[in-house]
Amino acid sequence: MKMEEMSLSGLDNSKLEAIAQEIYADLVEDSCLGFCFEVHRAVKCGYFFLDDTDPDSMKDFEIVDQPGLDIFGQVFNQWKSKECVCPNCSRSIAASRFAPHLEKCLGMGRNSSRIANRRIANSNNMNKSESDQEDNDDINDNDWSYGSEKKAKKRKSDKNPNSPRRSKSLKHKNGELSNSDPFKYSNSTGISYETLGPEELRSLLTTQCGVISEHTKKMCTRSLRCPQHTDEQRRTVRIYFLGPSAVLPEVESSLDNDSFDMTDSQALISRLQWDGSSDLSPSDSGSSKTSENQGWGLGTNSSESRKTKKKKSHLSLVGTASGLGSNKKKKPKPPAPPTPSIYDDVN
Amino acid sequence: MNKDAQMRAAINQKLIETGERERPYPQVAEISSSKFTFHQLSKEPHLITIFLSLKELLRAKLIECGWKDQLKAHCKEVIKEKGLEHVTVDDLVAEITPKGRALVPDSVKKELLQRIRTFLAQHASL
Repeated sequence: MKMEEMSLSGLDNSKLEAIAQEIYADLVEDSCLGFCFEVHRAVKCGYFFLDDTDPDSMKDFEIVDQPGLDIFGQVFNQWKSKECVCPNCSRSIAASRFAPHLEKCLGMGRNSSRIANRRIANSNNMNKSESDQEDNDDINDNDWSYGSEKKAKKRKSDKNPNSPRRSKSLKHKNGELSNSDPFKYSNSTGISYETLGPEELRSLLTTQCGVISEHTKKMCTRSLRCPQHTDEQRRTVRIYFLGPSAVLPEVESSLDNDSFDMTDSQALISRLQWDGSSDLSPSDSGSSKTSENQGWGLGTNSSESRKTKKKKSHLSLVGTASGLGSNKKKKPKPPAPPTPSIYDDVN
Repeated sequence: MNKDAQMRAAINQKLIETGERERPYPQVAEISSSKFTFHQLSKEPHLITIFLSLKELLRAKLIECGWKDQLKAHCKEVIKEKGLEHVTVDDLVAEITPKGRALVPDSVKKELLQRIRTFLAQHASL
């Protein structure tokens, strides 16, 4: 057939319409046939009736359109008012508070382990200090040497590591201050001197810089000549821990009795009180005691050696003062004058 | 008659050749002397149909108007009568096609006829 002979324009409208109708009819027939084939295949493959559900389950899953409910029929904050029974302590807890409660109750989770560790550290000190309280003499004597009493006093951390006060107190300090605010719980690199025993502390101070960073309250673990800290700071740390006669290991000399300056130590005590720890309350009484006990400390130094072990005094500043007074290590107190000056800077 | 048959055959051939019947219409549509591609018009649902072939257009329209669901319900009745195992294609075709033709809504019919007439007008000289 030749295309040129066919001309639609020659046809009248009715014929055109007829042709259009035919084409349309063909198309509809195509669609119907296609549908039949689909249905037949579905029947033979067995999935034709799959979308049928019985009226019962249709009612179960009907869309809910009531106020206060979502389309599944659930109430919005249903779980807030619900109470769960804790399997550990058998208390009924509100659902929205259940997870944090469980974390504390079971003792698993970041915060609870932190708190537990702190409690352990504190209770250790408390136990040791309480055992001393039976003979108050021991508390007051404190000549045994270094560290742990002062550490004990410092360990009674009144400040919650998570409390806002922590950051506030940090702001007042300029630069590094070795003896300020001793026991924040921290877990970065470096050494927390709270956890060190007296022997460890001494050995550490003979090998490492040991200057306590103001920010982290940890001792510097770099060498004795570390450039970050001055010799003054190192000396200060050693005095703080080991008594006024303690100095850098390089300058170890034979032990003398230090000529202890009471005025200086009391000034030191007052400086130490500035950061407002709750230790201040015992320390207030402690400072009065210190003055009493200075004489004791000096006099009874040698005889109290056995008692020195038990040192963790709960009267923190008592311990400090006594420790300062009683320690007869190394050089006689040239470091003492500088220490108050450091505190001056701070204040 | 022969001529009519020939005419129809020629038209069908043209329909298929241009893709109007089966395959998509132009890749680019011209609307008010601006050219648009399929992607550009996809945001305009009422315009997107110009890209569909007649067959595709009809299928889409029938689903949209619920023709397919109606016919399916009818199928289920037929099959339940006949029994699931004994259904044949011929049975189905015989039962369903007449109903299907009747169920097509008028709007769909009109739209399709319009399209066909447009095509014929475009290809007036074969």
